Parts: sequence; structure tokens; C-alpha cells
Amino acid sequence: MDASRRNLLKAASLLLVDHLALAARSTFAAEPGNASRKGDRKVIIVTCGGIRRAETFLDTGLVNIPHLYHDLLPRSVFYPHIRNAGVTSHYNTISSILTGNWQRLDDWGQSPPANPTLFEYLRKRMELSQDDAWLISSNKALTNRIGASSIREFGPRYGANVVFPKQLLINAVIQAASQGHPEHSADRAAMQHELEAILQHADNYEGLGWSVSGDESMLDLRMQASMHQAIEELVRTNAPVTGDEFTFLISEEVMRRFAPSLLAITFSDVEVAHFGSYSMHLAGIRTMDRLVYELWNLVEELPAYRGRTTLFVLPEFGRDFDGSNTNGFFNHRSSDDSTSLTWMMCLGEAARAADVIERPVEHIDLCPTIAAMFGIKGLDLPGKPLPALSA
Amino acid sequence: MNERPGLAQNGATGPDAYRRLIDRLPVTMRPALNQQLSQWATLFPFEKHIVASLMKGVETLSPSGLGALTAPLWALETKMRVKDWNFSQAYDTIENASQLARSKYYGEWRREVQRVFDALNASVRDATPFHAKQARLMLLVLPRSLPVDAHSAWKQWGPRGHAVKISGDSERLCELVLKGLSSQAEGATQAARQGSFDSSDLWFIDAEAKLGSTLYHRSPIAASSLGYAALKPFRDRFLAELNKAPKNIRATDEIIASLRLESWDGWGLWPAEIANDPRLRKFVIDLFLSGNGALIFSNAFVEWAICEALRRARPQAIVARFGMRSKPKLFTSIAVFENQQKISSLPDVDDPENSAVDAAILARYAWLAASRYPEQEQTLCLCISEHQDTAYVIPPAGKNLGWNPELPIGPEELYSWLETFGVTHIQLSIP
Repeated sequence: MDASRRNLLKAASLLLVDHLALAARSTFAAEPGNASRKGDRKVIIVTCGGIRRAETFLDTGLVNIPHLYHDLLPRSVFYPHIRNAGVTSHYNTISSILTGNWQRLDDWGQSPPANPTLFEYLRKRMELSQDDAWLISSNKALTNRIGASSIREFGPRYGANVVFPKQLLINAVIQAASQGHPEHSADRAAMQHELEAILQHADNYEGLGWSVSGDESMLDLRMQASMHQAIEELVRTNAPVTGDEFTFLISEEVMRRFAPSLLAITFSDVEVAHFGSYSMHLAGIRTMDRLVYELWNLVEELPAYRGRTTLFVLPEFGRDFDGSNTNGFFNHRSSDDSTSLTWMMCLGEAARAADVIERPVEHIDLCPTIAAMFGIKGLDLPGKPLPALSA
Repeated sequence: MNERPGLAQNGATGPDAYRRLIDRLPVTMRPALNQQLSQWATLFPFEKHIVASLMKGVETLSPSGLGALTAPLWALETKMRVKDWNFSQAYDTIENASQLARSKYYGEWRREVQRVFDALNASVRDATPFHAKQARLMLLVLPRSLPVDAHSAWKQWGPRGHAVKISGDSERLCELVLKGLSSQAEGATQAARQGSFDSSDLWFIDAEAKLGSTLYHRSPIAASSLGYAALKPFRDRFLAELNKAPKNIRATDEIIASLRLESWDGWGLWPAEIANDPRLRKFVIDLFLSGNGALIFSNAFVEWAICEALRRARPQAIVARFGMRSKPKLFTSIAVFENQQKISSLPDVDDPENSAVDAAILARYAWLAASRYPEQEQTLCLCISEHQDTAYVIPPAGKNLGWNPELPIGPEELYSWLETFGVTHIQLSIP
């Protein structure tokens, strides 16, 4: 990634997570933070939108996933056949993964999951604070309601922190554009001003799962300076920025500061496919491949994660087959295997012996598997524990 | 717009009579049909023919016969609790689609609806085929500016066709085809005036503004012409209106319904070739509302316009030209749904390599879309990569090239071969 882009995103992520930390201190002051319990198990789930096997783990697609194929596959338990037997939309699929039950909800996230999420099971059974459960998402199709179910015994008081970093930058860009300066330099100046303003005053930021409060004067001045410099650098370039890169950097900061026990990250650069650009879809796959590799390296680098973390990586579903009446890779609406059958990779503590499990598994099998890793028993879930993993 | 004589004109005909017949069908079959009736004046002849045939099928069956045919679908709707949904019977809506898709009976429902449609169509045993078995042409142009990969370009096009090398200037071939079609202009225009030819039989779809320069130096011809570049003022306004939709299905359905009914004509944003054609204006609005990137990327516009023209009009000839898109600008890979010319005043920079990747797969998708319909057997598809001076030629089913595809062929020679199938001549399409 271009240095100026990286600097901006890094600075923005630092600033945003700093806001979150301040808010967490005020909102959850009565709850003990668990970030210091470094001996605990950690699980990270990465979902990455709709990706066909043809563009990834079939021969035709290996060129798009050099890190997954060459660097991570040899040390993973790999499931080449995982089926999404539910609704192949983003909100329903991610809710299904998190609850272990096929969800049939409003596609645009207007209603919470109808069964308890893993976040709620963990927080209630293990008495964890909200800092220990995070969902960080690039995907516009989700809402913060995905962090907790509608079940009375569980619900938001046991829910996750839900953050949509991409929305932060979208808001900044759209507000800058709405200034309508025709002059090139003025337009850039407006963009810089708006970016700074929005990134530094995130209180009304709709992409956050909970409101951010706190005194701005408490912000680290060094961080503000860093942010300012990064924005200045960025506006002098014409380098594109992707939402998944920003989501990754926010996730990195959350891992460093909170070390949550359960972190769900949803990438979605690949969803540009809905607009019909195959080349940009492939670029999204390559970005995902690189970011998952960087994430795994981060897991191995951070003491809070090294040796005690299990990482799951899976597409939410595939995409429709070439020649389908739903316009092929553009969409994920058909019931064909191209859409409903995909792959999953598991790395880390629970994947002690590399293996390829040919037996078909399902998305709803993750929830009971992860619950068992945390020692949570007695859940009445339809999925089965994934084979070849250590509990 | 003239209706063709002889298309299901016997028995109950016309929207009012059809509405009564639609009320006899299961609820989930009604929105699409009612939507078509509400837009009857702007339907293409083929669409009217399909509705008329289906209605004839409903009318042909006795009440008990129709009841027996649709009983499983009625039962399925009861299990799905459709009556408890907020389900529009007047229009296809996003909420309708969402409710259906999240039902656990969705797959079963799709199969059952297809079965009923198939049975109704089959019951019209004397239905007249819409088109005689005349040859059809699909000419797809990947322009010289797009560096299509020579090694992979044609690999996935299937076994029916042949990759051929064009000796000389491959751009000449498109010129010859356009001139050949233009030469039909007077006859077709005259026929159109007489109601025996319809402009939906011939389509020109252009990512940039290149086809028109060859076509429109003559008098206007009876054709449907769409240009992504020419539509820019309209697209910008339309996208701005569409982006007002909040993240809520019902509100979005309301905005889409209002956009569909909006009188866009007063804005003066339509290009000249569309301004006087209400049916084509409606086609463009439907195209943009059905998504698939048609508002954002020129090549997606071309592909989706071809797919929709094939589905809705089954034309005799389509000439389509793909084009260049710009590189994503600052932040636009985050907010790609936005208009990047509005987001950033930085100058556009061409992205030839990635435009070529997009255009190559979308050209193949256009052929795959044509392949879904029975007319594909009579269709000659020619996809030209001007950058490589190569083409992929798919002759009508059961026909041979008649020359050795391993030897280069000149544009004039290739055009002469096209002429032997008659695909460069617009034919009157009265059955």
C-alpha cells in the first residue's frame, strides 16, 4: 500500500480506537475489563463477502490467493466444502454464523438475530465485558443490530461492540463532495477539512455501534498531529483507498488495545462485483488474501494472541455461476453450488495438525465449535462441531 | 406504438381482460404480471406476446384444470404465510423479493412457479411462434483501446465457436456491419411506419460514443440506440435521486416506485435518439433501477442492456461496443456506489488493462445470456478484439464456418460470410 494511504488509515484507525477506548471507560466503568487476561483463548472469525471457488481455491483462482494458498494452507485445517444452506445475503449469513442457527431476517439488518449470538453466550456464561467481544465490518449491508439477539435472557447487555470503519470515510468523502467546490484545489482543501473534522469529532458517527463520548481535549495530541499530517499527505496524492484496508487497521488497533476474546471481522471489497467490475472484484480478493496473511502475522506477533488464538477464514457464500439468469458473478442469489458452496480455513491453536477435510460442513457448525473451544456446554444448536479441530 | 396483428388476438385480450385472469392465479405470480399490464403501452412486442400467450393459457384451462395445476403453489403460499406478508400484488418490489428469498420454502417456490408457467405455456398448443426461424446477429466489439489478453480471451467461450485471426484492420468489420445495417434503414423505417417492423428488432448499445458516428450521418433509422456516454446528464441526475434512498427496504421500494413513475421528460436530459421514444426511455429507467452496475460502469451498462434487450425484445440484431473505464479515484473504492466525478474533481485517468478484463468477461456473459433462449440456435455471434485483430466466431447451431479458422481472414471476406446467413439484413418479422 502507498505510504501516504497507509499513514492516513493508520492515523484514522488510531484516532477512532482512541475514541472507543474513551467511550468504553465512561460507558463500562463499572465492569472490569478483561483485556489483561492474556492467558485466555482467543478466536477470530474473518468473513469476506461472496467469493466463488472458481476465483480462489480452484485451479483457475489460485493466482488470486498467493498467501492463503502458499503461506497459510500448509499449516491449516482446510474445509473445501462448506455449505451455506440459509439465505445467501450478508446480514442473514453472518447472523447465521454467529448464532449457529439459519437466520431469515430483514436483509438490511433492521431486526436483530432471532437466536443468541456467540458474543452473548461468551459474555453471559464467562462474565466477560463488552471489550471482549467485537465485530468490525466493512459491509454496508450490516447494522449494529447484528451484535446482539432479540432473546430476552441475552440481548444488547451481552452484545458486542460493533464498528463500521468504512462508513467513517464514506461520510467524510460525501460531506467533502457536498461542499461542491468546482475548483480542483478548493475541492481538495474541502476534503481535507472535512476528513479532519469528521475523524476528530466522531460523536455523531453513524457507523459506530454505540455512541462515542468523552472530552476531545483528552485526545492524545501526538495522535492528533499524526492524523493531521497523514491527511495532508493523502490529499496530495491520488491514491485509492479501500474499505477493507481501513477495517483491517481498526481491527489491528482493537487487538492491540483490547485483545478481545472473540473478534469477528467482515471484509467486503469483493462486493464491488455487484456493480459489474470483475477486475475490481479480483482486486478485492487479492486484498483480502493479503490482509488475512497480515492478520495471521499479527496474531503471531502479539503476546496476547500468540499461541492461544484460532483464526477462521471463510467467504460468506460464493457468487452465481457464469450464464446464470442472475448475471453470474454480479450477484449471490442462485441456489446453485457456485453460490451456496464455498471453503473455510482454520489456523492456529485448534488447528494443531494440518489437514484437508473433504466431508461437507455448514456455516452453522462454527458456533457450536467455537462455543466448545471456550468451554461453553449445553447449547441446543442444530450445527455439529467441526471435525479435525482440538476443543 | 403499433401492436402486431395476429398475436393472441382471439378471446380475452388487453390489460383489463388480463387483470381478471391474473386474479385467478396464485398471489406470488401476480406482481410481475400486473406490473407488465400497468406498463402495457411501453412493453416491447415480444413482452406483449408472452403475456398474451400466458393469459391464453389461463383462459384455455377450465376452472378445475387451473385449480389442479396451481393447487401445489397455493398450498405452498399458505405454508409460507404469504397472506401475512406485506406483499405487493401490483409491482415486483425489493420487499417482495426479500420476503420470498428468506423463506425456507424459497427453492421449492421457485420450482413450483416455473412449473406453472411452463404448463400454462404448453397448454397454448396453437400458439404462434413470435419469430420465424430467421438468422440473428450479435456483434460484440472490444475496442482497440482495450488490451485484451491474447492467451486467455477466448478460452471460456465454449466449443461451438472458433477463434480466428483477422488480417488487416479489424475495425473495418464493424464499419461494414454498421453500414450494412444502415443500408436497410429506409426499408425498415418504411416497414416500421406500416407496423410490420419494430425498432426493438435492431439494437445499438455503446459504452462510448463511437457507433453513432457511423450510423447517424444518414436519416434516423428504426432502431433502439443506447449510449452510456450520451446518457451522462440523465445518469447523474438519476443516481443523485436514487442515492436518496435510506437503508430501509420499504422506503427504498417507495423511492423506486416514484422514480419509475417520475416524469423525467421535463428535465431535458434525454439524448436525442431516446427523447422521442417513450418505450426506450422506460427501458433505460428499468435498466438503471434493476441495478447490476448499469449506472456506475459503462461496460456493465452495455452488458446489462444486452441482457435486458434479449430478455424483453428478442431482437434480430444487436451491435454492442464496450469501452474504457477510469481508474478508481481517491476514496472511490470505498464509496464506489457514488459518482466519482462528483466525489473528486481530479481528472479521469483511463484504466485500459482492467477495462479489458471487465469487457472480456462481460462480452462472454452477453453471449451466455443469448444462449438461454431458443433463438440462440439461429444466432451468429461475433466478438471482435480490435486490439489483437482477432475474433471469436460462433456460427448458428449446426452450421460450419466454411473456411479454415486457423488461417487469417480479411474483414471484407468475413463480412461476406456474414451476409451468406442474411444476418446483416433486417427482415420483416411478422410470423
